[in-house]
Amino acid sequence: MKEKESLIEIDPKDYDIVVKIKDEKDIVVARQMVKDFAKRLNFSLGDVTKLSTAVSELARNIYRYAGEGFIFVREINDKGSAILEIVAYDNGPGIKDLNLAMQSGYSTTKGSFGLGLSGVKRLMDEFYINSKVDKGTVVIVKKRRRNY
Amino acid sequence: MRVVPTIKLFDCLIVPIQIELNDSTVEKIQNQILNEIEKLGINTLIIDVSTIDVIDSYISYMLLETANMVKMMGCDTFICGIQPQVALTLAQMGIDLKGINFAQDLEGAFKLIKRMRGNSYEGKGIFDRD
Repeated sequence: MKEKESLIEIDPKDYDIVVKIKDEKDIVVARQMVKDFAKRLNFSLGDVTKLSTAVSELARNIYRYAGEGFIFVREINDKGSAILEIVAYDNGPGIKDLNLAMQSGYSTTKGSFGLGLSGVKRLMDEFYINSKVDKGTVVIVKKRRRNY
Repeated sequence: MRVVPTIKLFDCLIVPIQIELNDSTVEKIQNQILNEIEKLGINTLIIDVSTIDVIDSYISYMLLETANMVKMMGCDTFICGIQPQVALTLAQMGIDLKGINFAQDLEGAFKLIKRMRGNSYEGKGIFDRD
């Protein structure tokens, strides 16, 4: 990951959770770990569900399209309020047309609504995606904890 | 292969899903449902998802696909027990599950079936106390 021209510089030590996605079952593992982590950070039940659903989508994209990759999760403290950040990173084939990939209803796979990425964007407060063909894809999403 | 235990009640097949759903499990459940509908002469499928706390786009796609498949086998699908935060998440993602009937719980599903079928429903005996 430290090689030049990589999409993002990530030090796993900065993160609370690192999950390697290389098997279908890892999607469930990532989902559950984020669920527990968000619960522990006192996110509302609705937001816990949104976060675990989002990570489920991102992990599945890694598994389906790149075969292998990582999910990094950490808590960021922003003036006393917690933000949960999820990074999905892979060195897979990359996405040719990001605008198209972000469109609701677009998918290159059969057996899909094509609502994975666009759905994740709608569930989260912040969404960043970058991809280079043959280099890989990185998605960073953030969700701020709301205090009711 | 049986992945989840199911209950046959008259011509209804009740499928309570109480396991963690990974992608291949979802596929196996779909297969199991199709097989049992054929074998047991089912015309109403009720899937209880009240213990499922994450339904993502793939799981919901498979639920809709299953409903479409069983429709072709002459069978209506009812999904009951979707948790409020799951409903919130699905709606926000823009996932639309047309063609599936929803109820709050198993009881609600049977009430809905009864209302839709009227007195012609074969298994009406179980509703008599209503």
